[in-house]
Amino acid sequence: MQIFQYSLRRLLYLIPVMLGVSFLVFFLFNVVAGDPTPLLLGKNASAAQVAELREQLGLNKSFLAQYLDIVKSAFTFDFGRSWATQQQISDIISQRAWPSLTLTLPAFLISSILSILISLVVSFYRGKGLDISIRVLCIALMSISSLVYIIIGQKFLAAEWELFEISGYEEGFPYFVPYIILPVIIWVVLSLGPDIRFFRTVILDEVYQDYVRTARAKGLSEKVIFLRHVLRNAMVPMITYFVIQLPFLIMGSLLLENYFDIPGLGSEVVRAANSNDFPVLKAFSILFSVAYIVFNLITDILYAVVDPRIKLQ
Amino acid sequence: MKKFFMPLVLSMFMITTSCTKSDSAKVKADGSLEKVLNIVVGAKVKGFDPNQASDRYSGNEVARIYEGLLQFHYLKRPYELVPNLAESMPEVSSDGLTYTFKIKKGVMFHDNACFPNGKGRELTAEDFVYSIKRMADPREQSKGWWLIDGKIKGLNAWKEKSGKADKTDYSEKLEGIQAIDKYTLKFVLSKPFPQFLYSLAMPFTYAVPKEAVQKYGKEFINNPVGTGPFITGKYTQANKIVYTKNPNYRDEFYPTQGAPGDKERGLLKDAGKKIPLVDKLVVKIMTEEQTRWLNFKKGKLDSMSIPTEEFANVMIPGKGLSDSFKKQGIVERKVVGLDVTYNAFNHEHELFKNNKKLRQAMSSAFDRDSYNKKFYQGVSLAAQSVVPPNIAGHIMNFKGPYQNFNVEQAKKLLSEAGFPDGNGLPEITLHYTYSTKSRQMAEVFQQNMSKIGIKIKPTGVTWPELVKLVNTKQTMMFSMAWGADYPDAENFLQLLYSKNSAPGANGSNYSNPEFDKMFEKAAIMSDSPERTALYEKMYKFAAEEVPWVIGFHRVTYGLIHGWVENSKSIEFDHGMAKYKNINMAKKADLLKKL
Repeated sequence: MQIFQYSLRRLLYLIPVMLGVSFLVFFLFNVVAGDPTPLLLGKNASAAQVAELREQLGLNKSFLAQYLDIVKSAFTFDFGRSWATQQQISDIISQRAWPSLTLTLPAFLISSILSILISLVVSFYRGKGLDISIRVLCIALMSISSLVYIIIGQKFLAAEWELFEISGYEEGFPYFVPYIILPVIIWVVLSLGPDIRFFRTVILDEVYQDYVRTARAKGLSEKVIFLRHVLRNAMVPMITYFVIQLPFLIMGSLLLENYFDIPGLGSEVVRAANSNDFPVLKAFSILFSVAYIVFNLITDILYAVVDPRIKLQ
Repeated sequence: MKKFFMPLVLSMFMITTSCTKSDSAKVKADGSLEKVLNIVVGAKVKGFDPNQASDRYSGNEVARIYEGLLQFHYLKRPYELVPNLAESMPEVSSDGLTYTFKIKKGVMFHDNACFPNGKGRELTAEDFVYSIKRMADPREQSKGWWLIDGKIKGLNAWKEKSGKADKTDYSEKLEGIQAIDKYTLKFVLSKPFPQFLYSLAMPFTYAVPKEAVQKYGKEFINNPVGTGPFITGKYTQANKIVYTKNPNYRDEFYPTQGAPGDKERGLLKDAGKKIPLVDKLVVKIMTEEQTRWLNFKKGKLDSMSIPTEEFANVMIPGKGLSDSFKKQGIVERKVVGLDVTYNAFNHEHELFKNNKKLRQAMSSAFDRDSYNKKFYQGVSLAAQSVVPPNIAGHIMNFKGPYQNFNVEQAKKLLSEAGFPDGNGLPEITLHYTYSTKSRQMAEVFQQNMSKIGIKIKPTGVTWPELVKLVNTKQTMMFSMAWGADYPDAENFLQLLYSKNSAPGANGSNYSNPEFDKMFEKAAIMSDSPERTALYEKMYKFAAEEVPWVIGFHRVTYGLIHGWVENSKSIEFDHGMAKYKNINMAKKADLLKKL
């Protein structure tokens, strides 16, 4: 009941937040961005045609009316159609979210499991050679730009050594699998550096707590202490870290999707930005904000589930 | 754990190796191999509505599905119009105002759910009347309206009336476009416009069935239904479009005549054969250059333009294509663009108005050679005036008097203009559409001008901002390029016609009564030696007047795998995939060398 009340109150906070997000979106696209009609109509457009299109797109309305249109779409989730492709934006999202998730979800799961396992090992051997080597490796991995992994991976692993597909995507399982293996590997390599460093810190924070000393004094094995006690207590910051990443998964990866020709939401954002497709950009901005807020709420609720000492107020 | 892990790893490998929908050729029912043309597109394709096909990418895809009355001859140069859905070239009245077309009989639209029982119906003259009116429908916002704006009798009035009405009335008869009978179509123009026929070869004017527009509404753009040589299903904006050969395509044949040298180059090997020659087209949308390049090198794409970073490895100066590519059977293809780049003066600005010497000085101070090497690998052509090569009106070997880099001449002219060593000259703002490359280009121009004492302030803005600044005449100078809509010098010379001043195509607001007089005379002349002579006169006139600092006609190089046959460079390449062929035996052989 307490969780329900808390969730309801937090969801009500969405209203002022959405008004603010709508204002930001309005300010960016309707005030700052300039007139999109010349790009939409092409080089030969006449002034009369520009005026006609402005009227049809609602750009001649007062700023207040334009802002209210955005607010309306933010609360009804009816974002209309793309200016460029004339598709319903809801259709674009439903068609594109799946390819994005086929890349990001396995990548996220693999990188999360791997990084937790490795961070447990390095925490266990803290200060030893293995720990130091992995820390150095993590920093090395993080210091290289993601583009380098993509370009080198695509050029050597796919094109030269023919271990993977260079690019492409096929709808449906298992046809998409060969196309996502290399991007998944690159995502995992990119994530390992920051993830291991973060989890290692979180675990080490717990390792020096009194309850660990007590457990040792009670004669529990190090394995039991790590897996049953330390890991459980380290779950709270880990959950935050994971859940906050979930909305980013749906949005895909701009670079990976573009280089590997995966028709996901990430590549759609790039297309929309390149073609001044404001309705799509506005919809994505608003939906992403909503997703971020909702997933934040889920994180808070999960805290209480994982750690009964945390009270939701 | 081991028991579980090993089968998992093995199954992953099996999935990797077995589930790729292979690029290798499939065997057809008659035992021959399926011929697939793999085409790459470097940007997203908006969709399949001819009304919206303003960019080259969309135009190409539209033209695989839809067709127009006319098309460009695939092989002949200079470009020549030939019938496509028209039975023959039109009868034109002596006053140049009436064009009567006979259209081909028995041409069928693709089978589609928009027709009764899903069976495509026959194309009639009414389909063209509908499609042209659709270009004028204010509710459709056609990007091709400029092409027929003010040219077809009664159409502008109909457009205006439709804008005020609640609904567009397509049933209203117009004098300017009529279906005389099922197969006869008549256009009546409001004034002579010899370039009108080019309009009818452009994707904007291709025939669409009204049943499809009515059924799919806003989604018509994603549900292509035409009469063309290829068919595809609903477009979902995925990164691949697969077309299959239209089984009901009428009897159309590969041309039997070409330009000199075409026969020797093997371009007439398929002369007289029924088209399309391939079974399938796979259009792959790859926005990243590296992705395109790696796929091309592996033979997964049949052709592509040479990436900028790879140019020095691929094309050896003085030798052409490098041996390693030649050994793989790859051939190069040079494409001279029908375009011109320029840094325009705003002639309504006090500084440039009637100050020809200043304009000439700036043009003389522009070092085109080093600019060409820096930005175009040294292969583009320094423009001598406004009309590009391969169009009547361009003069081969003509040297513009102020197109050569000559600092001494530039300084002298600047002094004669009243600004010795740039003294008294204010800083000149040069607006350009922001990108890293265009910023560098503007900075090189700035350095060139500083050598004669002229201060340039490069200012990068977004494209919509630049259009706004140009249209409202708020620039001093701006960088621009113009690509041909059709192969006629008029399309370039109109950029200097005073009545096209901003917000029209003449964004530089150049105005010269003598030029206007020549333009107005040429604009109503049909293609003839007299008109070419007049175009050439205007070409020389513009070179002397320096309305802009004229830059380049851009040249690009493409690479094609040796198994692609009938590949000829054509600027207006929409609809031309039907002529391409694949030599399957050669492909099998060459793939081993990649």
